[in-house]
Amino acid sequence: MTKLRYVGSSSLRNVDGPEKVTGQTRYVGDMTVPHMLIAKVLRSPIPHAILAELDTTPALEIPGVRAVATAADFVDQGNFGWPIKDAYILAYRKVRFVGEPIAVVAADNAAAAQAGVDAIVVHYDTLPVVSDPLRALDAGASLIPEVSPTGQGNLCNTHLVRNGDPDPLLAAAPVFFQGTYDMPHQEHAYLETEGALAIPEPDGGVTVYVNVQSPHINRNTAAMVLGVPAESVRIIQPPVGGAFGGKDDVLYQTTAQVAKLAMLAGRPVRLVLSRTESMAASYKRQAMQIHLKLGAESDGTLRAARADLIVDSGAFASTTPLSSWRATMHAAGGYRYDAVQVDMRTVYTNNGYSGAFRGFGNTQATAAIELAIDELAGNLGRDPLKFRLQNCLRRGDLTMTGAPLGSTIGLADCLEWVRNRSEWTSKRAAYDAQPADAERRYGIGVACYFHGIGLGGEGVDFATATLRVEADHSLTLTSGLTDFGQGSRTIFTLVAAEMLGVTMERIRVLRPDTYTAPDSGPTVASRASVVGGNAVRVATAKIAAMLDMSAADLLGCEPEQLVRDGEQYVGPDEEPVTFEEVVDHARELGFQLSAQGRWQVPEIEWDFERGTGVPYFGYVFGAQVAEVEVTLRTGRTRVVKMWAAHDGGRILHPKGALGQMYGGIAQGLGYALMENFQFENGIPQALDFDRYRIPRANDVPEIEGTYIETHLPEGPYGAKNLAEPVMIGAAPAIGNAFAHATGVRIRGFPLPRVAQRK
Amino acid sequence: MRLVFVVNDAAVEIEAVAEEMALVDLLRDVLGLTGTKRGCESGTCGACSVLVDGKLTRACRTTAQDVESRHVTTIEGLRGPDGDLSDLQSAMLDHGAVQCGYCTPAMVVAAEALLHRNPSPTRAEIRSAINGILCRCTGYQQIVDAIEATSRGRGAAQSVGEAASTAHPGSSQ
Repeated sequence: MTKLRYVGSSSLRNVDGPEKVTGQTRYVGDMTVPHMLIAKVLRSPIPHAILAELDTTPALEIPGVRAVATAADFVDQGNFGWPIKDAYILAYRKVRFVGEPIAVVAADNAAAAQAGVDAIVVHYDTLPVVSDPLRALDAGASLIPEVSPTGQGNLCNTHLVRNGDPDPLLAAAPVFFQGTYDMPHQEHAYLETEGALAIPEPDGGVTVYVNVQSPHINRNTAAMVLGVPAESVRIIQPPVGGAFGGKDDVLYQTTAQVAKLAMLAGRPVRLVLSRTESMAASYKRQAMQIHLKLGAESDGTLRAARADLIVDSGAFASTTPLSSWRATMHAAGGYRYDAVQVDMRTVYTNNGYSGAFRGFGNTQATAAIELAIDELAGNLGRDPLKFRLQNCLRRGDLTMTGAPLGSTIGLADCLEWVRNRSEWTSKRAAYDAQPADAERRYGIGVACYFHGIGLGGEGVDFATATLRVEADHSLTLTSGLTDFGQGSRTIFTLVAAEMLGVTMERIRVLRPDTYTAPDSGPTVASRASVVGGNAVRVATAKIAAMLDMSAADLLGCEPEQLVRDGEQYVGPDEEPVTFEEVVDHARELGFQLSAQGRWQVPEIEWDFERGTGVPYFGYVFGAQVAEVEVTLRTGRTRVVKMWAAHDGGRILHPKGALGQMYGGIAQGLGYALMENFQFENGIPQALDFDRYRIPRANDVPEIEGTYIETHLPEGPYGAKNLAEPVMIGAAPAIGNAFAHATGVRIRGFPLPRVAQRK
Repeated sequence: MRLVFVVNDAAVEIEAVAEEMALVDLLRDVLGLTGTKRGCESGTCGACSVLVDGKLTRACRTTAQDVESRHVTTIEGLRGPDGDLSDLQSAMLDHGAVQCGYCTPAMVVAAEALLHRNPSPTRAEIRSAINGILCRCTGYQQIVDAIEATSRGRGAAQSVGEAASTAHPGSSQ
């Protein structure tokens, strides 16, 4: 096999790095066009109310105001949402959360737009607020959606796992543990807020530049609510300043709002959310309450688990029916059991709304089970890392859902790696022996995880890419999957360059544009490298085959006899020919040198009614260790260092993969230590970075990370996914280290500020 | 007010500007220098960091009158000597320190301020120097790596330069 030039190279640079590091990158908020209007939004200050009166005519009398829109301006009142159609582009009939958009105003400048918003007459008839998810299903609870999707009030959806019957095993188990875990909401806090710039087109359509994750779904949603054909809406995705799952539904709203204003005013309209608006209006990581029961033998062998989850979806379902499914599929963790059952209920509340956020439900599920497993091991007097090695999934095991694991299982290797690198055994012993009255206490803790690859039972998991050779012998690549900082443009480029034997500089990846890029489904589930990379691989293979035929014809040999020297093609006898000569000859032979590639994840089958089947075609695995210092007087927990190992298959772009790991750990650290997006009776308690703190450089420790390389046969060059799962071990590892330091077991995040000694 | 100041080594005169206009608005909306970002309204995120007379400054908390007669340096003024990437910018790319890129200009500005003040900072000093700038993507580690590598590179270049000038006075340039 020829040596790989780009795959796995530590000297790769991100293809869009130079423009970013020089400040030339133009995000949507940096874009202006002539005669552009500025839009502002009227948002609800109330968690739940009937819109008794909504009169926008005074806004139109404000000098400079050019257009106003409300729900009445959209088809079917702007009703949208997938998989449950329960959301609105602008509030319809009621407001359901604080920050919900009610009306939008476009004006010559920001001040006039704000004056227009302030002039709108609105009267609210307040309704009872549902803020406690545990009370959302009470008989008298105020109904939040227009129509209950289950016919059972605020019950949004349910999922289950039925893998044997754990109850007799739990009843008979020599060691029994149960606990209830509260996982809070989390804000994405991407540094670039939501924004869109809409330009009306003479044919009645509209072009929208918008920092959305999934351009085609956005296009289809906007076309539906605007009442125009899909082709009349063109979505162009400029560079995106971070997303982490958070830039879909909220931007479907923003897109349709500015598109409507632009069509009404006949002028371009830009809307960029302020930080406070962004925090109020955007969806969050779901809060979950997870009740776990575990049964084990006296020697520590896990036997059975039962998990019950209540998931707070907030005012709209968004993707919570899917992320709650992922939480359900992972609720008992990456361990062997004889029997497991899980029951999950998602409920509507007036607590903002929740949707996709890195880890997609498994962040919360793993946090709970990893805190519980650690406490169970502690109750048995067992080393928690050895306990995990004893029970963790290995080759040939079945998962907690009773499904096969797939071909590559690196979980034990990850645990061994973090144990060795962190000097676990000696530190554990040293901290066990620290004086009971020590003011500063140290602890070391571990967590591990498994995470299903791709969408699994959530939907058809495919991507499409196109590749063509241009007249100047450069190559142009398109994908409907987007790069919001995670590096997928670089991954797609290196896969194509590797396969074609050309330099990465020869290849240009177009920005996703629904006029030029084929639909590839949503950019979610850490699937861009595997699914999108494979689509690039399929397209590139077609071009490579044409070029090989051309080169063989030029060199008078069979394609199999060709070897490559840099970009040149070399035959058995002849002089080498250049890439340019091969391309030109291919055109003479009549090849079009343009190809489309589509790749779809192997089909799996999950029975949602029975809670049985195969949820994913394969899994990734990982383990993390945290070392903490807790100052008892102040209650401050500082993470001293972290170690992380992830089985990500073949690593395509090592520096980029490590960046995902470090960034994911920082988000998990934030979840453990400081981030807690709280609602009090539906009112968000922190809407800026002063009160909602995210980790700063001094909060994040040095991290020693590695990828345990395995080989996923289905992945491009053997790659698996990694961007989300690398975050989910961090919070529980820190929680378990805190317990080791203080003797105080925790049942949720963030960690208590003042540790009470046992 | 009439404002005269220096932006990226070029004199700028603006005939009429509100005294209280935020520097970030002046740079972005009046001068078109959009490399300086807005990330919050509370002076917390640091995305709008620029240099004013070499000192790291939040442009959202600085007004037009604050910069009268001063030198302002933005990311657009921090290229390498030949207009190419600076050593720091190259190091950011080589160390994987750039993901979404939104905080990147501010990180570059803060790093240059640090390295000017303290040419050989420790990793802890580097962290403190960028502590005022939020990054949600990277976990900061590769940014610290890049700044540390730049510091070493400049230190080595300095030593070579000094050695050369000792051996051959006047020939170091």
